Amino acid sequence: MDRRTFLKASGAASLLAPILIRKALAAREQPLVVVAEGSDYAAITRKAINALGGIKKFVKPGNVVVVKPNMGWDRSVELAANTHPLVVRAVVEECLAAGAKKVKVFDNTCNDARRCYVNSGIENALKGLKNVDCKQIETERFSKVTLNGQFLKEWELYDEALTADVYINVPVAKHHGLSKLTLGLKNIMGIMGGKRGYIHRDLEVALADVNAHFKSHLTIIDATRILTNHGPQGGNIADVKVLNKVIASVDVVAADAFATTLFGLKPSDIAVTVAAHKRGLGEMDLSKIRVFRA
Amino acid sequence: MKRTPARICQLLFLALFLILFMQTEYRGRDEINAAVNTFFRVNPLVLFSYLLAAKSWSWLLLPALLMTLATLILGRFFCGWICPLGTILDLVSTRIRKTAPLRILQGNTKYWLLLPLLTASLFNLNVSGLFDPIAILLRGLTFLLHPLLGLVSRSGWVSLYGLIGERRDTLAPAYNLIRDNMLPFRDALYPLALLSGMILLAVIALERFETRTWCRTLCPLGTLLGWLARFSLLRRTPTGLCADCGVCRDICPTSFRQGHLDKEECVLCLDCQDGCPHGRISFRPKLTLKRAGPLRPERRVLLGGMAAGLMLAIPARFRSPEKESKLLRPPGVRSEDEFLKKCVRCGECMKVCLKNALYPAAYQAGLEGFYTPLLIPRLGYCEYNCTLCGQVCPTGAIPSLLVESKRREVIGKAVFDKNHCLPFARKIDCIVCEEHCPIPEKAIRSREVPTVGLDGLPRIVKEPYLVEDICNGCGICENVCPLESKAGIEVFAVKNRTPISYKPVRQPENQPVSQPENPYPS
Repeated sequence: MDRRTFLKASGAASLLAPILIRKALAAREQPLVVVAEGSDYAAITRKAINALGGIKKFVKPGNVVVVKPNMGWDRSVELAANTHPLVVRAVVEECLAAGAKKVKVFDNTCNDARRCYVNSGIENALKGLKNVDCKQIETERFSKVTLNGQFLKEWELYDEALTADVYINVPVAKHHGLSKLTLGLKNIMGIMGGKRGYIHRDLEVALADVNAHFKSHLTIIDATRILTNHGPQGGNIADVKVLNKVIASVDVVAADAFATTLFGLKPSDIAVTVAAHKRGLGEMDLSKIRVFRA
Repeated sequence: MKRTPARICQLLFLALFLILFMQTEYRGRDEINAAVNTFFRVNPLVLFSYLLAAKSWSWLLLPALLMTLATLILGRFFCGWICPLGTILDLVSTRIRKTAPLRILQGNTKYWLLLPLLTASLFNLNVSGLFDPIAILLRGLTFLLHPLLGLVSRSGWVSLYGLIGERRDTLAPAYNLIRDNMLPFRDALYPLALLSGMILLAVIALERFETRTWCRTLCPLGTLLGWLARFSLLRRTPTGLCADCGVCRDICPTSFRQGHLDKEECVLCLDCQDGCPHGRISFRPKLTLKRAGPLRPERRVLLGGMAAGLMLAIPARFRSPEKESKLLRPPGVRSEDEFLKKCVRCGECMKVCLKNALYPAAYQAGLEGFYTPLLIPRLGYCEYNCTLCGQVCPTGAIPSLLVESKRREVIGKAVFDKNHCLPFARKIDCIVCEEHCPIPEKAIRSREVPTVGLDGLPRIVKEPYLVEDICNGCGICENVCPLESKAGIEVFAVKNRTPISYKPVRQPENQPVSQPENPYPS
């Protein structure tokens, strides 16, 4: 091998190596997305978690866990604007069973917090559970976090999420006027403070910025019923479709990508998913995702 | 304060007033069963000015009618047994050293206040709530003292977080108990807070001159009750001071200035009966046609007061038309004129408003509308599923509606300002207003429009538009608009407030959209 061919070869190798390595890695740990189906929402939630290896894989005894549902709207359960209370409760109970010291459930709501907590049914569903906090947001607990993202350099995030040992993202799958759908990646807005509407001007990039900095350990998408139009708050039962499904994955992008198909859309239709995938936050190619139906 | 039945009753009613005040708040249920409006429902001043102004009857006023009848029979017992402001005056009065009674307030002053108020009501200007004692107390509490309590408690709690961080959580149960039962939900700042506090303070400060100065010489409710009491059956014997004693003059909180007990002024506290060293005094029902003292006010004052009210009815009602555009009233108020005739200016709707959307008008609604509630969307919006303001309104000026009806009531209509709204002005996506619009079919919708960005590159932007027929003017769009200071969408008042219907509206999504020219041709 002469010098020229060596340089050519090593040049080509250095260019190709990262791609090849990433491909090899991706092939090895193909993200798993679990889909559980059934009309007992607590049971299918548990089934989905167990198919991922059980809650003990994520929650260790003594952990402080944040379970972050979407309960941003003053809408009743059947209108599919908020995560189903039975799904939330099942996740919380699993965490407690795994020995969590404290499970915190909250959301930075869009409508009046008191009404959202009550009418989403979540506050009531968690009543009586020991070591569970379902508290409304207290603004002083937001602290500025340096994100160094492409759109957001810094933003206020909620301290309870920042200091938790485990963060479980429990969105509801629904339509959204701007981002087409809101799923796991967008549910992160619930830990953001400040004037959140600001990020709408470059939503997908901003969400990738926040998700890149703050990662969900587990994403459980409530698709027991989905809101197919007039999201994200709906209000018309005609826009709701009952699917009796719960989707779970460690890979938030993969979970979102799969959930997109429930609406008859492709993952590439959703700019938020695409931006997050490009940022290396997860897999959106359905052919590279292992789907397990529990 | 001695422990007489009247005193105990006073304290119980004051406690009730304060408890009901705290209860006038969303507590996790859509209905409020008992609110502080009870004190206005039994208020004859509210009754008379409503009847005169609105010239119609509402069953909400029945308790006040019963109170009127009770006063006709018993006398002015409301002031001595029930009125929470009177109780507060009695409580502080013992700690205030007295100078001499204020001369200017003696005599006919109270009639010069009450008569114009009632006459103006007859000529469609109902502002008696401005001087109603319960309203004065409630406004002072709502706009100043309660927010002050919230501020002190909350800033203490917040600074505790700065000191000990998350460990603060161990104290949370105690704080939550106070927060959930006593504090205002959020720190709203009200215009007229200072004035409301000053008026309340001034009423209390009048105790410097003599006991119950406000009640004897100014209070229009007390004066009205006094009139009714003239004919009451309950009579004190002896009617005047005894020649050998005169202790009554020192004991009595309201009367005996003229040497005899004036029925118009007697609040039936019965202190003279308890304090009489000779045990001579009794209050007994007695039917007599003999007049107790001269009929007041004199004809001169009666006619003068009425004339003053008539004169007031014209200048107070001027309002410049440009202010009308932002005159957003609580949901269910369809006619501004009718609303102004019925509103007590008590401040309850502003106290209960879930999102702190309602604020007392200072100058916006003219002199006539002083202290009436205005919705200011930039500060708070009308929550779609909330009906609390209508529930607590004592006169139905804001009608109490079922949530299905309330959602359709029109407060105003939203209008885009394309010079500010981001998709128009800066050619970038936003659509926060559409996201928050609570109408299930969305009164704010958007369409994808090919345009040219400010960088000169072609792009597709979601432009919002309003479906006016189904906009109820709740103001959430203006509230959440991410633009700083002025919003890109604003709600303006409309005359026609016919409730919206949810019929599907034609969607102009497939209409051809004209493409704007490239502002930066290469």
